[in-house]
Order: sequence, then C-alpha cells, then structure tokens
Amino acid sequence: MQEESDNKSTVSAELKTVKKSPSFWVETWQRFKRRKMAMMALVYIGFLCFVAIFAPAIAGTKPIICKYKGHIYFPALGYFRRQWENPIFYKDRFRNRYPENLKQKDPDSWAIWPLVYQDPYRRVYDDEWKGQPGNPTQDNGAPSLRNWFGTDQRGVDVFAQMVHGTTIALLVGFVSMGIAGVIGILVGALAGFYGKWIDMVLSRMIEVVMCIPTLILILAIIAIIDSPTIWHMMAIIGLTGWTGIARLARAEFMRLRESDFVLAARTTGVGQFRIIFRYILPNSLAPVLVPITFGIAAAILIESGLSFLGFGAPPPNPSWGTLLNLGRQNLQMWWLIFFPGMAIFLAVLAYNLIGEGLQEASDPRLRDA
Amino acid sequence: MFSYLVRRLFIGLITLLLITFIIFGLIRNMPGSPISVNMAMIDPGKELNPADIERMRKAYGLDKPWPEAYVLWVSNVCRLDLGRSISRKQPVTRLIHERIGPTLILSITSLFLTYLLAIPFGLYSSARQGKLDERTLGTTLYMLYSFPSFVAALFLQIYFANKLGWLPLYGMKSDNYSSMSSTQQVWDIFQHALMPVICYTYGSLAYYSRFIRANMHEVLRQDYIRTARAKGLGPINVLVKHAFRNTFIPLVTLIGLTLPSLLGGSVIIERIFSWPGMGQLYFESILERDYPTIMGLTLMFSILTLAGQLLADIFYALADPRVKISDH
Repeated sequence: MQEESDNKSTVSAELKTVKKSPSFWVETWQRFKRRKMAMMALVYIGFLCFVAIFAPAIAGTKPIICKYKGHIYFPALGYFRRQWENPIFYKDRFRNRYPENLKQKDPDSWAIWPLVYQDPYRRVYDDEWKGQPGNPTQDNGAPSLRNWFGTDQRGVDVFAQMVHGTTIALLVGFVSMGIAGVIGILVGALAGFYGKWIDMVLSRMIEVVMCIPTLILILAIIAIIDSPTIWHMMAIIGLTGWTGIARLARAEFMRLRESDFVLAARTTGVGQFRIIFRYILPNSLAPVLVPITFGIAAAILIESGLSFLGFGAPPPNPSWGTLLNLGRQNLQMWWLIFFPGMAIFLAVLAYNLIGEGLQEASDPRLRDA
Repeated sequence: MFSYLVRRLFIGLITLLLITFIIFGLIRNMPGSPISVNMAMIDPGKELNPADIERMRKAYGLDKPWPEAYVLWVSNVCRLDLGRSISRKQPVTRLIHERIGPTLILSITSLFLTYLLAIPFGLYSSARQGKLDERTLGTTLYMLYSFPSFVAALFLQIYFANKLGWLPLYGMKSDNYSSMSSTQQVWDIFQHALMPVICYTYGSLAYYSRFIRANMHEVLRQDYIRTARAKGLGPINVLVKHAFRNTFIPLVTLIGLTLPSLLGGSVIIERIFSWPGMGQLYFESILERDYPTIMGLTLMFSILTLAGQLLADIFYALADPRVKISDH
C-alpha cells in the first residue's frame, strides 16, 4: 500500500515537472557533452579560433596599440586588412619598421607589442628589435629560442606564418562548408519534401556532381579565374562538396515529411515554405551537421593539399599547406614539414572527433545506450 | 532485374554525357592552349609562325568552337577512339595503358594489405570490446585515419630516405634498372614502392578496421548471437562464423565503391613520390592543357565511379536476400 501511494505521488510529480520535454538541440548537446574526446576537440577548435582572431597580437612586427603624435593607433589591424592600418604610418615612411621609427619620430610615443616579434610575410633583420639578431636564411633556420618553429628559406619565421595561417585553415572550413551546407540542405530539402519528378531531377544532379573528379574541377576553375584568391578556392570547394549533405538532408526530409507533427501542421493550414524551414529543418539539422563537420575536415585537407601542389592561396598568404610545399623542396628542413603537418593533422582530427561525437549524439538508435 | 539494369545503364549514360560535357567546357575555357603551353615549355624564346600555329590548331580540332568539338569527341569515343595526346604525340589509350600498371602495383598491394590486416584488427577489437588494448588500438587507428597522407609521405621521406637512407626518395625504378637481373628488378621496385604503399594503406586500414568493428558491434547485439552463445559455442566460433559472416555484406559493397580509386591512384601521393601512374598523368595533362588526355582520363574515372556504384548495389542484392532490386 505504502509503495503504491509512493508511486502515485512520484507519477504526479513527474507529470508536473515533465511539462516541457527538452528540445532536440538541448538533448543532442547533453549527449554530446558526455563524450570527452569530442568535447576536447571542440575546445581545441575554440583555441584555434582564438589564435586566428588574435594572430596579430601573438606574432607580428606591428604594435597592437601605440600612441604616436598624440593619437592612439592600432597598427596590428593591418594584418587583417591593409586599409585598417592608419595611413599616417605610410606617410611618415615607417616602412613597416615600427620600433625604431616610433622612437625616432616621436620620443613620447609608447606601444604595446605582440608576444613574439616576428613577421609572417618578411624576414626580421638585425637589431630591428633591440638586441634581436636577424632571422637565419636558407637551411640554417632550425628551431631555436628566437624562432620557435624555425624559419623558411627566405628567413621568414615559421611560427608567425603558422599563427597567421590559422585564419585561412579555419575560414576555408567554415566558408566552404557554409556554402556547401546551404546548397546541400536546399537541394536535399526540395528533393526530399516534394519527391516525384523534382526528386528525380535533383537526385540525378547530385549524382553528376558526385562523379565529377573534384581535383580536376578545382584545378580547371582556378585556371579559368584570372587572379584566384583564397575566397575563390573556398567557393569552389563549397560548390563541389555539397553532395553528401544533400543526400542526408534528402533522407531526413523524406522521413520527417510523413511524421505526425508535419501532418498536424498541414491540417492546420501552415504553408509549405513554413513547414520546410520552420518545422522540418530544425529537426533535421543535427544529423545534417555530421557530414558538414566531416566536410570541414575534408575542406582543410583539400586546401592544404592544393597549396601543397602549388595551387593554393597566392604566395603572400601564409598557409599551412604552402609551408609544407616549401619543406618539400628541401627535406633537410624538417621543421617546415613537421609543425605545419601536425597542425593540419590536429585540425582534421578535431573536426573528425566532433563529427563523430555529433553523429552518436544525434542518432536516435543510440539514445538510451 | 534485367529492366533494372537497362534503366541504370541508361541513366548512367546520360550522367556520363553530362559530366564529360561539363569538363570539356571547363578545360576548353582554361587560359592557354596545348600548343602555346607546349611551346613555352620547350623554348620560351622561340616563336612559332602564325601559319604553323593555325595548321596545328586545325590538326587537333582546336579551331572549332568547343560545343562542336565536343560532339566530334563523343562521336570518336563511340568508335572507341580517345584521340591522340597533343603534348606527347601518342594515342591516349596507349598512355593509359602505360600508366595503369604502376598505379595498379600500388593500389592492389594496398587493397590486399588493407583487407589482410583490417579483418584481424576489426575482429580483435570487437572481441576485446572496452578493454585497454582495444581502446589503445582504436585510438591509434582513429589518429591514423585523420592523418593526412601527404604529410605522412613527407615524414616517411624525411626519416627513411633522407635520415636513414634505407629507401629511395622517389621514382619507381633505379637508374640502372635495365641492367639488373629479374630478382633484383623485383627487389628494386619493392623498395621504391614501399613508402607509397604505406601511405596508401594506413588510412584505408584504419577506416576498414573501424568499419568492421562498427558492423560487428551491431551484429553482436542480435538475438542469434545470444542463441549461439547460449548453446555453448566457443567465443571464436561465435565471433567468426556467426557474427563476422554477417558483416560481410557491407564490406562487399565497399569494394565496389573503391573501384575508381583502385585505378585512379592519388594525384598527391604519386606527385610526391614521382610515381609514373595515372594520378601523375592526370596532373601533368592538366598542366600541359592536353585536352584529349584529360578527357580520356575523366571518361575513365566517371565510368569507374558509376560502375562501382552499380556493382555495389548489385553485390548488395546478391549477398543479402532481404534486399530486392525493384524494377521501377
């Protein structure tokens, strides 16, 4: 008797508390959180984002903040965009040598410098920074206390190049898979939701794009564009890499199209557009994120592979793959291969781990496992 | 089944036409023509007189607009003529014939090794699920799976070729290959092939092992496995005869999907090791704007990709009686 009433009270308590079940996203996140490796990978990607955003503050030859002739400037922003560096430094003929020029031209000036005085685009010369010898050139630039990851043939610091190259590696992943995600979800949604001949046509289209050898497509398009930039490359990787996403989105939409909540929405007269984007899409997004995450890893591989073959970002842009290409020309300089190679590996590994974590977190079959 | 095949072949043919049309249009619009690129490579200073260029353009059909040239190319392909390479002055079929051997040496050895190792790895890790050694193996394989093959190739080159000097840096044959005895020749190619084969293998090894493990995981939860255990079969018997045989189906379909890479090779790995295979040929022909070769290779890869998908579906239907190929 006692037990029964206990049961009753717990049941009624449950009825009260379980008013709103956690949303699909909250549930997925909670299951994702339990996976230690995936969480570590997520933290690592966060760290990479941090490095990318603060790259000019970590390694550079331009002050983060400086006071010059009575005004405060942020010359380090010039690393993101040429125009963001105040033209006054150009007019006053600084020629990118900030430490001596600041002192000479305005004795009252002060500046906060990046953690490491090294430039990703050029060699640092003798005494540019008081007491710091110039970077070694050719194959003498083995890692040292001055150049943590060594220097390349031109004497440019590898650490600085890698810190600034993080931006490209991350952007390539996000931008290209952003494009691929939009195309893939749109195509998959239309094919899966409407079915019939629309599905037929779109499925054939997916098949055609899948069969086109990616490399030749990328090389051909890069050759056609007059002056290819890193943005073109991201667009091309995105335009060719959406098929997996589309196939998964199609399957998800086909499944959810028949579900009760869509039927309920239909009977209450919700428009098709709204059903697709407000009803089905949020519920199919978590599984679709899985190929997107794996796609980011693949995009990083493609970008570094292309840079490695010499088709990557144009030379002034520091990229991990370009460094590898430099290292390949002289295998004695192992540091040109080891550090960027490990950076590519860790980024790819992190995205793969996140993808796998998401896959298992959003798979309903493993829900109670 | 028959009408299914006919339908699939018909759709495949249309897909092929579309792909080749897109690629043809793209490469014909790339700046530079095979003639100008070729001349620049031989002697940048030397200029061909316009009449000669015009004659060569005519000879290779470059004077026609590309849609017309495409129709011509298709009609030639229907007569099984892939044309002649412009930069190498050889029929494309002979070029492919020359390059396919080296690629197959790498890919078949690698495929063989992958299966040879992946099956025991997969079985071992499903037998020791959750134990320390299984988790170490699993983590190692996962790391390998994420390791870019071109980085691995460079690491291997630095260590084994440059530092230790055990293996040749690149190429397929030594300079004095023709003067060797046949056993020495085999040994020579073996030495040259070792590093590329490792680069080809480790990634797919990791992928296949994890694939087998995941499938085994699924199968081991089935009722008939419990029945087999309950009636007193030994663990090896259960694992190999009852569980593993049922994971064969997805494994078989994977073979179909690896078909294109088997013959296609990898551009980057073949570039790093200067291996005279198909991937290298592809890359060079793009640089040389050698339209007939690019088109021939594209056609081959597309056919292989489509055939691989079709084979995978057919295998699947043959191996799994629950799957039925529907006719519509």
